[in-house]
Order: sequence, then structure tokens, then C-alpha cells
Amino acid sequence: MHLRAAIRRGAEPVTITSRALTRAEADAFGRELDALRAEVVADLGQRDADHMRGVMRDVHRLEAAGRLLLHVGVDPASFVIGTGCLALAKILENMEIGHNVMHGQYDWTRDPQLASHGYEWDHACAGADWRRYHNYEHHTFTNILGKDRDVGYSFLRVCPEQAWHPRHLAQPLIALALAFNFQWGVATHDLRIDEWLAGKQSLVSLRARARPFVKKAGWQMIKDYGVFPALALWNAPRVAAGNAMANLTRNLWTFAVIFCGHFPEGVSVFREEDTRDESRGQWYVRQLNGSANIEGGARFHLMTGHLSHQIEHHLFPDLPASRYPEIAPRVREICARYGQSYCTGSFRRQLGTVVGRILRLAVPPRTARARAAGPVATRSVVAA
Amino acid sequence: MSSLERHATGWRAAAAAVARHLFLDRQAEFWLGELDRTRSLLETRARVVQVRSETHDVKTFVLQPSSRWQGHRAGQYTTVDVEIDGVRSRRCYSLSSAPGERLAITVKRVPGGRVSGWMHDHVRVGHVLGLGAAAGDFVLPAPAPAKLLLLSGGSGVTPVMSILRHLAARDQVRDVVFVHYARSRADVAFGAELEALAARHSGLRLVLELDDAPEGPGGFDEARLAQRVPDLADRATFLCGPAGLMERVERMWQAAGLADRLTSERFVAPGQVPRVAPGDGADAQIVTVRLGRAGTRFAATSCSPLLDQLERAGERPAHGCRMGICHSCTCRKRSGTVRNLITGAISDAPDEDIQLCISVPQSDVELNL
Repeated sequence: MHLRAAIRRGAEPVTITSRALTRAEADAFGRELDALRAEVVADLGQRDADHMRGVMRDVHRLEAAGRLLLHVGVDPASFVIGTGCLALAKILENMEIGHNVMHGQYDWTRDPQLASHGYEWDHACAGADWRRYHNYEHHTFTNILGKDRDVGYSFLRVCPEQAWHPRHLAQPLIALALAFNFQWGVATHDLRIDEWLAGKQSLVSLRARARPFVKKAGWQMIKDYGVFPALALWNAPRVAAGNAMANLTRNLWTFAVIFCGHFPEGVSVFREEDTRDESRGQWYVRQLNGSANIEGGARFHLMTGHLSHQIEHHLFPDLPASRYPEIAPRVREICARYGQSYCTGSFRRQLGTVVGRILRLAVPPRTARARAAGPVATRSVVAA
Repeated sequence: MSSLERHATGWRAAAAAVARHLFLDRQAEFWLGELDRTRSLLETRARVVQVRSETHDVKTFVLQPSSRWQGHRAGQYTTVDVEIDGVRSRRCYSLSSAPGERLAITVKRVPGGRVSGWMHDHVRVGHVLGLGAAAGDFVLPAPAPAKLLLLSGGSGVTPVMSILRHLAARDQVRDVVFVHYARSRADVAFGAELEALAARHSGLRLVLELDDAPEGPGGFDEARLAQRVPDLADRATFLCGPAGLMERVERMWQAAGLADRLTSERFVAPGQVPRVAPGDGADAQIVTVRLGRAGTRFAATSCSPLLDQLERAGERPAHGCRMGICHSCTCRKRSGTVRNLITGAISDAPDEDIQLCISVPQSDVELNL
């Protein structure tokens, strides 16, 4: 309660800190998590495959229903319901199917339709680009300043440890614009346009990086705003508008969920020099302290692709996500024994602190201490 | 190929690419499957329409394949995909039916065999299985040789049965000797059908060599075979059976200078490659890693992950985290056995995907790199 009140008043952050672990302690912590992982792996089976196929079935049915309502309907009610079905289908396809399948969570089934390397999602970001920058870069170097480009997506200041720049004054508006266009932010993330603007990337390199994006995004535009509207003949504007609304709904929802994964109050960032020669156990400690959960029911978790269990996802990115709610109490218990904070809260609380941070960090640091410390005041989870 | 056909193929490929980019292929695949579980644009499937017990450990599964099935020649095999507790496995099984008949595979329960055991215990009428294409060179030449010797042992009877049924269906059983080795009469699959065929076709002579026969020791014996089939040198011979039997027959035919008259079919089950005890450095062995696409090979050890060893050999495979979480280095293993360092799981079946950064080779390995 104290925490919530403090945030609502816009006060300086109250940080729940994890105890710094020695390398030996971190390794023991890691071994416990490895044992938990092994337990889940040994138990993977038909129900996991059935779950994913069930979601796929729901998505296909929702999409068919949505398109039918949009294409043949003439009234506003069928437009709203049709758009809703389509938005729901896109959210589930992107978050529960696309994101999780592309993580390799179902590679063990050896079903080619559930294979990470072949999957392409209904999203402007090319699957291969996503697998590289998300699965590898973000999940390996999570929250390491300068190495994880997902920290504020390299243009937002989401933690006090990032250096302030006058352009951050505009970040509340920029974040709002990003929320509405989130799929384009995700799709162009790996083009590293910021590096090109700063002269750190050549135009030739930018063009090469852009090629898969242009191809994928082009086909997505043709699909949503060309082929499907054309199939509806006189209903074309209605279908195009419905597709745009569904994409927009998906953008807002995914933005909200994903920003709650790493940027709420209580999440730490790390310095590169502190993570050198990191052991597997220390990697686990960093993943835990760099992520935050959102509390909710089974349907809510499904709608977030189980990214509401961001902590479990970052500890075990290639375990089927529908297992995260089951193992969360055990993870929490292990964390408690090692004095590690487990950042979780309601959707309102987590999103509230993210919005608070984006607003607060738009202006330069107020205290002399913070100014003096500048961008290196990161907390180390490794005892000196 | 005529220019018209070339154009048609080109247009079809272009349409398929457009459908893929619009995700229409996925939609079509799903709705086809909803209509009928055997329908698919991507794979051949078959519905089990009858299950017959041939002996106590051999079952025949009669299949109704989807329209994608291209047919087979007598004596060929196909791959069968089954899903066991969420995991797909692929095995090769001989087709025991003749072309034109209802498609059938005959499966022997291998002691400790996961797939054959599961087929015996769980596959019922109505079950849907995945099928590959028919393959294999264990087929009769055209025209069929006038004098034939069919030699089989145990479950090796299956492809030979397909050949015999094919000849019988076309009334081409002119001069065929069928010698079959089995433990006992109860272990002879298709026993009643074989005897009925022999009764119907005067050109078929059936010789059953049973281990428990009262008149003498069982098993293969060169002299006895030569005595039972005095004109074996004149016959085109088709052989399928246990490894020991096949070796002795092959040696006998070679010694007689008849190697080119012998056609053999070998069953190879996965997991027959000797393994290294996991985690024990003292047991390290030197293995060969072959890169299928590059066509190169290098010597590796069973001590460190394939990714490290590939890089030391000068290869640059795609990779990422080096700790088994990002799946960037996932690669198709064509053959061989590897162990997953994180889970300890063994991958020994052909054509499985493995993560190079956490897989150590346990035998010679071929990768699709």
C-alpha cells in the first residue's frame, strides 16, 4: 500500500531491492531453477501440444468469424463484433502462438507446424529478424545498458540510469505514438535507424537490414489493405477500416503488456562490466531482477501470451508459456529463500508505474546525487 | 517438359508463394483438416481402417491414404509419423500389401521399441497416421524374372509378402520358391495366407524352416538350403531378414559367384549406434561430423558442443546465446546420435532438429549444414 501511495504521489521511486548474491549463491540459485526446468521438461507432453493446437483452432475460428462479419455485414454492430474477433485473433496469434512458437517452446514436438524456424506470424516484423534480435539479443543480454536495445527501445528513457538528453522531454508524446504504432516499432527495431542517424551505420547496411522488413511489411499491407478489402467488393472500405482497427487494438494491447514486462518500478538494469564472465546462475539472477509480472486470471494470461509471467518467461524462454502460471509459485518460493525480489503487481499498478516513469524521466534528474552519478548508477546483483 | 507445362508450373509456384505471404495456406490447411483429419496440403496422411494380429507380436494396419499418396511398388517401404505424448516420431515400415490392394503396413513389436510398442497398444481403427512417400529398391525388375527365390526371416517376411501378393494378383506365380525362417509355426506371419496361395498356385513352393521343428536343428544352414532349393543358382533371389541371416546368405551367394542375382533389404532401427556413457570424460571418443550441404567432414570429440567444434573446424554456423535458450543455432541432424547437455536427452533418430550449442556428438553425425 505504501508503495502504491508513493507512486501515485509521483515521489521518487521506492525500490524493493534484491540481496546481492555471491557467485556461489547465484549458482546454487541457478541449480534450483535448472532442477525446476528439468521437472517441467520431463513432464511436457500431449497436453502442451493440445493446448497450442487448441489456441490455433480458436484463432482460425475467430479470424473466420471476424472476416465474415466484416465482409458481408452492413450494420455497425457486425463491424464492431467483427473487428473485435479479428483483433482477438491477431492478439492471440502474435502473443500466444507467434511469440512462443518462435521461441522454440514447441520444437520438442517435432511437428513442422509448431517449429520455431519455419513459423511466420501475422505481424509486420519478419520472423527471422524477430528470432535474432528478440530470442538472442534481448533474452541473452536482458536489461544490460548498451547491449539490450529493448531498454526503452533506444529512444525512451525508462530508467534513471540512462543518461538524460533534451530529446527525452518529448518522450511522453513519443511513447503515446509508439503505442498506436507498436507493430511498426517492433518491425523496424532491428533496422537500427538511430545508429544510422548518429552516423554509426552506413546507408548500405541500413538498406540490407531493411530488406526482410520491407518484404514482410509490404505483404502485410497488401493483405490487410489490398486483397481482403478487394474480396469484399463494395464493402472494401469497411473491411480496410476493420483491419486497421484490429491492428490498432493489437498494437495498444501488446504495447501495454510488453512495457509492463521490463519497465515498471522495481525492475533493475545492469552495467556491461558487471555482467562479464557471468555464470549461468548469475544470468538467472539478472533475468529475474530485470523482469516484472502482471497478476491476473487464466484468460488474462492467455491474452498476454503468458507474458504476464515475464519473470518465468525470462528464466525459461523456451519452455511452453502455458506452464508459467503453474511454476510461478515455486519460482517465487525459491526467490524468497535467496532474498530476491519478485516484481509483480496488478495490471493497473504495473502500467501506472511505467507511465509514471516515462513522465518522470522525461525531465532531467533533480537531485544532485543522481546528477553526479549519471548513467552508471546501476545496481549490481553480484556482491563485490 | 513443354513450355506450356513450364508456364503452368511457374504459375502454380507463384500462386503458392502469394498464398503463403497472405497466410492463406495456413487457413486452407486448417479448414481442410477440420473437414477431414486425413486431408492436408502439406503432408500425406492415412486413416487406419483395419487392425489385424498376424502373430502374437506382429500386427498389420490397413490404411486408407489421402489423395496425396502416390502409390508404391511391391517390396517398397514408407515412413510413418506417429505422435506419442505430443512428440512426433518417424519410422520406416515395409508395405505388406500389393499395389492395387488396400494399403497395409505390417509392424513387429520390437522389444523396448517406443514406436512399434505404441502402434501395437494404441493405434485403433480411425486413428490417423502421417505417411511419407514409398521408397526402396527392393522391387522386382520388369519383366519379372521367370524363376524366383524369396528368402525371408522373422518380420522380414513383410516386403517379400508384398512381392508375392503382387505376383499372385497378376497370376504371374510361374516358378517361385518361398523359404521362410521363423522360431515356430505360431511366429509365421501370414501363415494361413501363404498356405492358401501355395494351394492355389502350382508355381509356388513353400518351405518353412522352423527352429522348433522336430526333424532337426532350426536356423539357417547353407547345405540344407542348397538341398531344399537345388536350382538356387538359376533363380533371382530376394532376401530380407535379421542381420545374421542376411550376412550368411550374402556370403553364400558371394562364394558361389551369384552376388548380382541377390537383392537384399535391410531394416535399420534407430538407436543401434553404440553410445558413450554421458558425462564421463574418460570415455571420450573420436567421431566424424559430416556437413551434408557443404560436403565436408571433420574429426570431432564426444566432449564438447558441436557449435564449438564446428567453429574450431573453420565453419560459421548461425548461432546466438551459446547457452541453449535462443534456438538460433537449431539445425537439422540427418543422422547420428547427440546428447543435449542441459536436459541429457538423447537424439538418435534421423532427421531431428538439434541445438548445436548444447549438443555433444555421441556417434558419427551428419548435419544439414
